[in-house]
Amino acid sequence: MPGSCEAVVTLTGDLHARPAASLAIAAARYASSISLLVGDNRADAKSVLSIMGIGATSGQQVRIRATGSDAPDAVAALSEILAQATQVGA
Amino acid sequence: MSKIATVGIVLVSHSAALAEGTAELASQMGGGLVHIVAAGGTDDDGLGTSIAKVRKGLALADSGAGVLVLPDLGSSVLTVRALIAEGGPLPAPLEIADAPFVEGAVAAAVAAATGGDVKAVLSAAEEARHARKL
Repeated sequence: MPGSCEAVVTLTGDLHARPAASLAIAAARYASSISLLVGDNRADAKSVLSIMGIGATSGQQVRIRATGSDAPDAVAALSEILAQATQVGA
Repeated sequence: MSKIATVGIVLVSHSAALAEGTAELASQMGGGLVHIVAAGGTDDDGLGTSIAKVRKGLALADSGAGVLVLPDLGSSVLTVRALIAEGGPLPAPLEIADAPFVEGAVAAAVAAATGGDVKAVLSAAEEARHARKL
């Protein structure tokens, strides 16, 4: 039974192209399947276009959900990138 | 920063400016880890495509892991196919992506930056056909 793990990050900036690319590149390092959930929208964290397609903006909460053997590590890494990369100027 | 052994990407466009701008964007999103080469315009930099420019682009993009070619419009594919038919040294493996130009370039750059092989980079580019932006 693969483990599942999640965390919620409140965006301090809009989720633009570069942070989306950073997230997708980081997500690819993990075996777990990873989703980003914003409201009713869901993105595959390993797909840069999927991440940009959810149109997440400043102040919104993004739920990171990973399922798989390395789910806790994946959620921790992506939470940090999401928190940092969406700061103004990123 | 290592650029060794990631799949290279050649952007073939009828417009040199379009190829260069797309390469700039995709390169940045690939974290600077991927060889992305613009091959746009005719030999005298008019609108159109050039076998010579694409051939040079393939050589520049190849770092040993193979190359993905992304054409902007269908007739760019004819140029790429003519080049392959000409023979001569070509990267191996070499694939042509059937994908939207900007989205495909960005998706391919990110997939190449993660160390994906040519098939994985091709697949990422072609999945861009289904990505919604609204």
